[in-house]
Amino acid sequence: MQDILLKYMKLGYQYLVNHILAFLLIPTAIAVAVEILRSSPARWNSFAIDPIHLIFCSFLAVFIATVYFMSKPRSIYLVDYACYKPPVTCRVPFSTFMEHSRLILKDNPKSVDFQMRILERSGLGEETCLPPAIHYIPPTPTMDAARGEAETVIFSSIDSLMKSTGLKPKQIDILVVNCSLFSPTPSLSAMIVNKYKLRSNIKSYNLSGMGCSAGLISIDLARDLLQIHPNSNALVISTEIITPNYYKGSERAMLLPNCLFRMGGAAILLSNKRRDRSRAKYKLVHVVRTHKGADDKAYKCVYEQEDPQGKVGINLSKDLMVIAGEALKSNITTIGPLVLPASEQLLFLFTLIGRKIFNPKWKPYIPDFKQAFEHFCIHAGGRAVIDELQKNLQLSAEHVEASRMTLHRFGNTSSSSLWYELGYIEAKGRMKKGDRVWQIAFGSGFKCNSAVWKCNRTIKTTSDGPWQDCINTYPVHIPEIVKI
Amino acid sequence: MEEAKCSRVKVESILSVVSGKPTEPGKVHKLSMLDRAMGSHTIHIVFYYASNPFLDGPMPSDLGNLRITLSELLDEYPYVTGRLTCEPDNGEWLIKFNDAGVRMLQATVDATIDEWLGSADGVEERDLTAWEEMPNDPSFWSPFRVQINKFKCGGLALGLSCTHMHTDLTSATMLFKAWSEVHRRQPPTHPPIFDLPPPPTPTPPPPTPSPLPTTPTKMATATLKFSPAAVDKCLSQAPADATPFDALAALFWRRVAAQAPTKRSLSICVDSRDPSQHAPAVPYAYFGNALKFSTLTDDLLSGGLGQVAGHIHRHVAGMKKEEFSSEINATGGMYGGAALTCFNAEHMAEAESGRGIMYDAEFKKGERPVHVSYSVGNVGREGLIMVMPAAEGGRGRTVTATLPEEQVAELCRDQVILDFEPTMILCGRRS
Repeated sequence: MQDILLKYMKLGYQYLVNHILAFLLIPTAIAVAVEILRSSPARWNSFAIDPIHLIFCSFLAVFIATVYFMSKPRSIYLVDYACYKPPVTCRVPFSTFMEHSRLILKDNPKSVDFQMRILERSGLGEETCLPPAIHYIPPTPTMDAARGEAETVIFSSIDSLMKSTGLKPKQIDILVVNCSLFSPTPSLSAMIVNKYKLRSNIKSYNLSGMGCSAGLISIDLARDLLQIHPNSNALVISTEIITPNYYKGSERAMLLPNCLFRMGGAAILLSNKRRDRSRAKYKLVHVVRTHKGADDKAYKCVYEQEDPQGKVGINLSKDLMVIAGEALKSNITTIGPLVLPASEQLLFLFTLIGRKIFNPKWKPYIPDFKQAFEHFCIHAGGRAVIDELQKNLQLSAEHVEASRMTLHRFGNTSSSSLWYELGYIEAKGRMKKGDRVWQIAFGSGFKCNSAVWKCNRTIKTTSDGPWQDCINTYPVHIPEIVKI
Repeated sequence: MEEAKCSRVKVESILSVVSGKPTEPGKVHKLSMLDRAMGSHTIHIVFYYASNPFLDGPMPSDLGNLRITLSELLDEYPYVTGRLTCEPDNGEWLIKFNDAGVRMLQATVDATIDEWLGSADGVEERDLTAWEEMPNDPSFWSPFRVQINKFKCGGLALGLSCTHMHTDLTSATMLFKAWSEVHRRQPPTHPPIFDLPPPPTPTPPPPTPSPLPTTPTKMATATLKFSPAAVDKCLSQAPADATPFDALAALFWRRVAAQAPTKRSLSICVDSRDPSQHAPAVPYAYFGNALKFSTLTDDLLSGGLGQVAGHIHRHVAGMKKEEFSSEINATGGMYGGAALTCFNAEHMAEAESGRGIMYDAEFKKGERPVHVSYSVGNVGREGLIMVMPAAEGGRGRTVTATLPEEQVAELCRDQVILDFEPTMILCGRRS
């Protein structure tokens, strides 16, 4: 009884605060209208309107309207996106991974056991894929193989995108590519310009070294460019090329990426053109970037270095989850006021004031983000990241389902994982017009980046996309520990 | 030996190929007593093609195209991609269906196919199916290995090697044939069956003591191709209902016994899958070991070619009718351990054309293998003679003899055999 009462009180409070303007204005408007109607017609004549005043007022109104519309930031639309689906020949079952690991690291049984424990608890499934060069015993990560992987992943994604949007290569105005660990010369963006014969005045950018959160950094960059260039579109490519970065040593902290990172990539088409407004899938509402690099611990927590044997790998520090939590808190503090309804913000403010002035022992109020968003895409960095965020943001299992299932089916595909997750939600038919999506990504630096999208039109489940052949088998139950 | 010790085959890379679809976890397959008895042997089959059929396909490399269809094939054979494990409490061998995949090796050969067939011997041919002995812990050891060998002339040899514990020569051939069907996008002619109903009454194996050789004998292999006319000439001396196997087994037995008079008995190995039988004991599509062994003693083996052929024929007929209990030596060494073994592959000849089914493994339509080599590893010192159907069909046969080195050399010089004008290939010297 108490609970139900509390629930209704809370609902009432939320409704009141979120619609406070309506609650204030409507009675006022009614009162004014009643007053006008009651007043005698005689008083009306005393409101003699000077024609000069009228012209001046209308001029002012038009002027203000023009300034408003001109200074409003352009709306950026996501027309469509395409994710890369690796071929089944690249599949790496757990047993094959462990077998190769044992054959390659035969002098380091402890490292092999460590990898097995990681894999058992990783949340990955048996269908994740590694590029062909890594299937060799030992792996053959040549530059050619890396370029081959880049070409396969990127060109397939772009071809899919062009097919679904009807985009012609010569129509691309802006090109942003992000790939953290593989940065050849000429760049990957030059590789795309060469393959598709893009225009010579294209604005192309290649972001490297920016970690798993670089996908949203690219979106942010594309958005800023689309503010300056009217009537343009931007092609954003987010991927991570695994071939050159397979760690060949035996240091445990550096073996983790080998177990989790898998092949993947996404191509996204953004536009500020008026005619794309109706066919676009999403509208970009906010991008919030938080960089904790000023703190030494955060800076060093994901660090590429040589191990004692001189083999290069990425060292993940033990404080990773703590630092991720801090970065998330920073990001939420910025994004909260932008997206949360007034009721939540007021509660947060009251609790904050209360803690500062009255009693520091009051529990800090964690705003309910489920009221701000219908869907969540949490970077599938690993099971621990998703668990941590689910706990911190008090999300249900269904909210994090897209992230967990993407981790299971595709592994950690770095910056493109957010797009696979979005694809999952669409493939399940859950995306309706007006739904708000929050994409959160973490990456080396340490950075936490968020993007907020609003669904522009209800998205029908289609027969293409990376989930087409397996969506009906999902969601699957992922056990805590998988026995290999 | 003055020949160069370094082989002309160079292995360039090793990788694993897995199936396209994951297997349901937790499934296991128990190996039978026969499987375990055959465990000391290994199978090596090489399919020689005049051109590389994998160059055409959606992928830029031949290895890429090969992997696509091999992956598809492996979807149907979780048995092949699994790993062996031994149960500690009862010593039972199991195959865990854990999807680990098959090992794939890429190699180049510094010769053309014709040069190779003319000059390589059994030992060098073994390099086309490079084998790794099973370690103490077989859980990360691949029992099946596929090797793609590229010749200077553009020809290709596909080698398959595996333990005899998992499969016998017939089902290994069927595996390859199924792969060629998948590659040509044809429906499979024999979808595999992995489990047989348990036998009605368990037949306890009669204990067969196998004398372990004190010193390992160096074995050699020679392949002799007999044309249909030559086989007919041989059959003319045998009773009317004798098969080419009966005649050739008798011929080789007599010539080997003539050189090594200590040989007293002959073991016949027959496959239980024989489709010519009214109700074969084992379905043709069974994947695993389905062999029967039975020994003919000295008294039946003396006499002329015709008499011996007649006795062999009657014995084979008896084996098919289950008149003799199968001799399974639990300690292994089934081939050539206790007696010279003759392997009957008449069931692998197509009913109408007489051509071996292995020659139907076309990866590209119309391109049959130019030759298919069979060889068995760890054959006992008594030796093994395999009589396989030939490429041209009819009654032609290809005989592969694995015997101690000196006996092989003698056999290739034997006038009685040479009278039948066999073409000798893979004998280590020009024919």
